[in-house]
Amino acid sequence: MSALSSRRRGAPRRPPERAELWLGALAATLLLLIAGMLAFVFKEAWPSFSHNGLAWFGSGGNTGQQLAAIYESPANPDEYVYHLRAWPLLYGTLLSTGLAVLIGLPFALLCSLFMVEFAPPGLKRIMTPVVRFLAAVPSVVYGLIGILVLAPWIDRHLVSASFKLDVNAIVPVSGGGLLLASIILMVMIVPIMIAIISDALRAVPRSWVEGSAALGVNRWRTMWKVSVRTARPAIAAAVVLATARALGEAIMLAMVSGSFIWAPNPLDGLNFFLEPIMPLAATIVGQQEGFSAVPLGQTLYAIAAVLLVSSAILSFAGWAVRQPLRKYAAR
Amino acid sequence: MPPPPIRKISLDAPPTVVHVPPVPLDGNGNGHAGPAGGVHTPGPPPSEAPVLERMRCDAVTIAYGPKVAVNRVDLPIAQGEVLAMIGPSGCGKTTLLRSLNRLTELTATASRGGRILLDGQDIDALEVTTLRKRVSMVFQQPNPFPMSVFDNVAYGLREGGSKRPRKKELMEPVERALTRAGLWHEVKENLDHPALRLSGGQQQRLCIARSLAAQPEVLLMDEPCSALDPISTAKIEELILELREQIAVVIVTHNLQQAQRVADKVAFMYLGELVEYAPGEQLFNAPQAQRTRDYVGGAFG
Repeated sequence: MSALSSRRRGAPRRPPERAELWLGALAATLLLLIAGMLAFVFKEAWPSFSHNGLAWFGSGGNTGQQLAAIYESPANPDEYVYHLRAWPLLYGTLLSTGLAVLIGLPFALLCSLFMVEFAPPGLKRIMTPVVRFLAAVPSVVYGLIGILVLAPWIDRHLVSASFKLDVNAIVPVSGGGLLLASIILMVMIVPIMIAIISDALRAVPRSWVEGSAALGVNRWRTMWKVSVRTARPAIAAAVVLATARALGEAIMLAMVSGSFIWAPNPLDGLNFFLEPIMPLAATIVGQQEGFSAVPLGQTLYAIAAVLLVSSAILSFAGWAVRQPLRKYAAR
Repeated sequence: MPPPPIRKISLDAPPTVVHVPPVPLDGNGNGHAGPAGGVHTPGPPPSEAPVLERMRCDAVTIAYGPKVAVNRVDLPIAQGEVLAMIGPSGCGKTTLLRSLNRLTELTATASRGGRILLDGQDIDALEVTTLRKRVSMVFQQPNPFPMSVFDNVAYGLREGGSKRPRKKELMEPVERALTRAGLWHEVKENLDHPALRLSGGQQQRLCIARSLAAQPEVLLMDEPCSALDPISTAKIEELILELREQIAVVIVTHNLQQAQRVADKVAFMYLGELVEYAPGEQLFNAPQAQRTRDYVGGAFG
């Protein structure tokens, strides 16, 4: 009897089943909150989508004037204006994000390779924490440097006066634009990619590298054929994460992208890169004073819904890309 | 009855190294000192190929930083026979083996003195990729790449040349290498399967095939069976005896029985020194040095 009671004293006061229940409830609450938020966004966004149909994603008219008309729509709910063709916003997002990721990826890969394979130990010790710090710099700091230093510099040195004058009636060109937005986005997302890719490169088993060397394959080929090949799933993950961050970046882009709703025309040659853009997330920031007007609020919710869906598609695409790459990996 | 005396090795005693005059390479391990008491352990069947010296270590010293791992070792390596390096852990046998194709250079702190010759030519004068193609290595843990079986074997051929061969041209050498490694019949249906899904023994034979595909002249094996089961081990030992007909094989092993089964010549190393180098049968049945006798007799290990 005494033995039994002493065993009871040693037993945990709360059985583990209880803890499981608590944790489960916590996780379920969190998931419910997220699901509720998603449902709310889509519900609010619905009038904008239902009014425009698929044309919402198309082009036509001046998107800036359309947003202004939505803001100024009459107070009577029956007379709300919803007409919107959001193509310039989508196009601006695609351009800035795409350029930043396309230029940033090779840059990040080469930096990671240098850090892991070639840098002397002292430099390695410094570079790793510096990269992690850069990945954590608040983007508004980059935005501030962009708008105060880089935009005036581009305006002075890259924008030709004649081009500026030619287009002045249609679109203001002032330094901030596709080029600056993409460059600062790239600076923002490259450290994230370097951190992920270099972790993966460091995790490549040394036995594979040695095995390749023992077959008489030189260091350079070994690096590409064994290390980078093995790190491919991590590279895909890095691209997904970086793209997601670039998609969702709002404040910084609102500062440096030119603040004018415009779809840059590739036929303008190099000036294409100097024309202003207005990405989706930056639009939400730019239009925030108009939230009080119900239809504008609903339109902004529609933009938010598009961003949410693209993030979801992005995660899924990342997963799908990794599947064939995992085929030969150890189980 | 008193217990049998335990033989101990005092570490500060001068090493009892026997300076064996260069052993005449006579093609097989037989014909030397017969069994000197104890159980006679037969060595591997004599090789049919002519014995030809391919490599030679000449006063090789290897150090990791200030720590000397291999101290002035002289050792011949011949084609047509198997050389086994035995000795307790940390005696420098793996380090010596890795220096034979300059893999020690991958370790930042390692430095080497003395000369290693391949066909009379200093290996430092050879380009390192050429050297490693001629002197290939199989590791302790099977290390197939995360690719298909075919791509693993073709890897050295694809990356070695300046021009990338097409898959059709690679089929024949890949089949030849897999056949030599005794793996062809087990994988010929599944050449595109992931190599890492093979069993451990198959993976190790795949690694041997990968090395053989580049047609090396010397094959270094670092405890190739230590992670394998007895059946896979037997297969690989059989393979080693076949390979010695065409190439020089050097095997590092912890397993004395394995050394007896496959080795024509055995080198016993202790604390970085080469204590004794002799035909297998002689070293196991009539060792000349006290340390060899102790190690082979199981006094320490």
